[in-house]
Amino acid sequence: MGSALTADLRAARRRLRHVDWVLVACTLALVAVGTAAIASATATPEQPLGLLRPRLAHVAVGLAVLAGLAAVPYRSLGEAWRVLYGLSLALLALTDLVGRTALGAQRWLALGPVSLQPSELAKLGLVVTLAWFLSRRKEPPTRLPDLLPCLMLAGPPVLLVFLQPDLGSALAFVAVLLAMLWAAGVPRGQLAGLVAGGLLVSPLVWPLLKPYQRTRLLVFLDPGLDPLGAGYNLIQSKIAIGSGGLWGKGLFAGTQNTLQFLPMQHTDFVFSVIGEELGFVGAVGVLLLFWVFLLRVLQVASSARDAFGSYLCVGVAGLVAFHVLVNVGMTVGLAPATGIPLPFLSYGGTALVTHLAGVGLVLSVAVRRPKILF
Amino acid sequence: MQPEKPVHLSTRLTSFAVALTMALAALGLRLWQLQVLQGDYYAQLADTNRLRIHHVAAPRGLVLDRRGTPLVLNRPAFSVSILPMELREPTRVLPDLARVLGISKEELWSRWERARSRPFEPVRVRRDVSMRVVTLLEERREELRGVQVEAEPVRVYPFGAAAAHVLGYLGEVSADELEALRPRGYRAGDLIGKAGVERSYDTVLRGDDGEQVVEVDVAGRPLRVLREQPGRPGNTLVLSLDWELQEEAERQLRGWSGAVVAMDPRTGEVLVMASSPSFDPNAFSVGISERQWRQLVQDRRNPLLNRATAAAVEPGSVFKVVTGLAALQEGRAGPASRFVCTGSLRLDRWVFRDLQAHGVVDFTTGVAQSCNVMFWMLGRSLGPERLATYARRLGFGQPTGVDLPLEATGVIPDADYKQRTWREPWYPGDTLNMAIGQGFVLVTPIQVARALSAVANGGLLVQPRLARAVLSPEGQVVRTFSPTVQGRVEFSPSALKALRRGLEAVVERGTGQAARVEGLRVAGKTGSAETPRGRPHAWFAGYAPAEDPRIVVVVLVEHGYRGGLNAAPIARAVLSRWWEGQRAGRREAGWAAR
Repeated sequence: MGSALTADLRAARRRLRHVDWVLVACTLALVAVGTAAIASATATPEQPLGLLRPRLAHVAVGLAVLAGLAAVPYRSLGEAWRVLYGLSLALLALTDLVGRTALGAQRWLALGPVSLQPSELAKLGLVVTLAWFLSRRKEPPTRLPDLLPCLMLAGPPVLLVFLQPDLGSALAFVAVLLAMLWAAGVPRGQLAGLVAGGLLVSPLVWPLLKPYQRTRLLVFLDPGLDPLGAGYNLIQSKIAIGSGGLWGKGLFAGTQNTLQFLPMQHTDFVFSVIGEELGFVGAVGVLLLFWVFLLRVLQVASSARDAFGSYLCVGVAGLVAFHVLVNVGMTVGLAPATGIPLPFLSYGGTALVTHLAGVGLVLSVAVRRPKILF
Repeated sequence: MQPEKPVHLSTRLTSFAVALTMALAALGLRLWQLQVLQGDYYAQLADTNRLRIHHVAAPRGLVLDRRGTPLVLNRPAFSVSILPMELREPTRVLPDLARVLGISKEELWSRWERARSRPFEPVRVRRDVSMRVVTLLEERREELRGVQVEAEPVRVYPFGAAAAHVLGYLGEVSADELEALRPRGYRAGDLIGKAGVERSYDTVLRGDDGEQVVEVDVAGRPLRVLREQPGRPGNTLVLSLDWELQEEAERQLRGWSGAVVAMDPRTGEVLVMASSPSFDPNAFSVGISERQWRQLVQDRRNPLLNRATAAAVEPGSVFKVVTGLAALQEGRAGPASRFVCTGSLRLDRWVFRDLQAHGVVDFTTGVAQSCNVMFWMLGRSLGPERLATYARRLGFGQPTGVDLPLEATGVIPDADYKQRTWREPWYPGDTLNMAIGQGFVLVTPIQVARALSAVANGGLLVQPRLARAVLSPEGQVVRTFSPTVQGRVEFSPSALKALRRGLEAVVERGTGQAARVEGLRVAGKTGSAETPRGRPHAWFAGYAPAEDPRIVVVVLVEHGYRGGLNAAPIARAVLSRWWEGQRAGRREAGWAAR
């Protein structure tokens, strides 16, 4: 008994030593900055702290999920891929059928007082599924028939999300797929062919897009097209960030934010609030945190004990990287408005829990590494 | 069981990391560009978003008569304007607003269209709206974004049409005017003096608008005032008008077309300036409607015309003052000269006929009876050049410089003029016509008043002036106006004396007896000026007291037939009013005694 206990303790201590504390610190710092920005973005005279309370609840749930997933041996998740994948598809299908509509899209499932955004959960479901699937192969999938199963796995969730319609999330799935295929060693030529094929098909998608989606894409190309309408968000976001200058206007003191010129300032445009109130220093600080975060995740990926662990980490890295690039790109006028949240920072329970869960997966891989690499 | 990790994994991960680093670095560079390089530009845009400069309209200055009677005032009121940059839904808001304001949709729309190029400047769409409209708009503020209600005083002319040509009226600043006036703080939609002293003293009367820098939220709701600069009302303009006399003149002119001018021959101060028919300047204060404006402009009687200064007509026998003076001065006549009037004068093949034969007349009687034959003879002897020279010395043919816009110049003809205008040489008959103020001679009542003032004051050509003083809003004297002598007519004392005696005789026993005032010696000259456009114009130009002239009165009644009949009685009414006041020793309270 005693020796078993000490063995357990020793294992636990070894795992704790393997925890990537830099990764954890980056995650917590991003969550903290996001929480402050959300408080500032939602503060009103009646509610000086805005949506701080529900945000903290989301954070608490998210951290619990993170810790839980870090403790669970990740291989068991891979073995349960059918359940995860099936559940993802089921929830997405349900959302398309009975989901709650907001902002012109049907993205939420109401579960009593909580509303769930299944597309976020499905992203992680796809990461686990693809990682498992790719890791089962001995050789990298080099020929088109080898790629087909992956494409067939990724296809249904992309389609279901696209139908909501949520073009941004659909593209997120594609980005995750590409990142994982890249890591799995698919030859450059094949990946390039895949991307080229996708681009060739995209004009066929144009007629399927809702008018507001087309406008968004056109407005991205020329925000002056409709400065008071569809281009308004992009222009106001640039004004917010630009006017922040080097040091920012101070938390709770951004005029674009507090006077509501900035739309959706606690969700999709939370980065604009940071840019305005914390300035270039704060905004670049956030980018640096993401950079360190992503490098650490890739570090875990390369030191994982097995291919499945590596692919899991790459999937999470691809997911976070896509969201960061597209979201920040949108706020600074380099990408079209697609309604993609900024990981760890945007207000939104499901997205936060999903991304923290992703970190949990990475930690689960990290603590089960064979040896410390630094 | 556990598959090997793929061989390329670490190189692939490295290139992944490099790609991510480059992408994030690109975002960082973009942030540098937006926040550091263009930070000031975007800060300015953020300020335009949140800051509104509200102009607090400063009331225009008052206009008073010489005794302090308020002639132009302001009344508090509200205006409605639209701010194009906040009008996000014009197709919904404008028709709604047009209905509330009771104006046409098309007019409102075109006003907005014109204003769009300057989205930050509010454009007034209606002045002086009722309290009901103000309440309605304030209640629906959220729905009607881009619509503003501001306090803006409205100009009031309490005496309506009286002296309207002197006081003038307001109108919205035109695009051309704005171009020149913008640096002085005028903005689109501002009211500016368009006529009368409202125009000539616009810069005096205009106040400095106050400014409020207000922070607003995205819905345009004002949250707090960041800076405030109070406005300053315009200065008060004190006119030299004597409102009692003015009202008397207005009353006398009623029903006629014509003008009355009275001025102090010693200073040039204008005591009366009335022109009939007139108009109500109040109609312009809140923006005159298209229909009203068309009515005024198309009225055949031309009510907008200031007949005292802006219309030159034939002077008729009033011009004999010039001919008489020239003859006396040039020695062609003296107090003792005798003329034989047979009722006509033969000139080569033509015979000029007068209405009656006066028989043998001396100079004084000739003036008193307005004997055409005598003046024909004098004119023939003087010749057109000398007549013209004397007329110009007395200020005819040139604007008087009275402080009102758009003064007419009048015409003193000579051979050159006739050749240029009519392509005909000067005939001797033209000289005869000129000698009695017919033919091509055209004068304005204010010119006659200035010329007669020179006769009355011994030869000084004084500039007629309406402004007497400028007071600060607090009542302090900012500026006073002193008489301006424009020229000196060198009269020989005997010539002046003889002319004055003739003018006194006109009222005493001649054609102008209707101008007699009990206890006051009045001198003057009547005129019945033939005009191609209808019955002759009736003139009377006189001064009093004859021994020490302190007032000159000029009356023109268009198509009034005979000066002695219809013009002289008006002059009499004004003069007896004036004389009553003088006898009562009425103090000129006015600004000096305040």
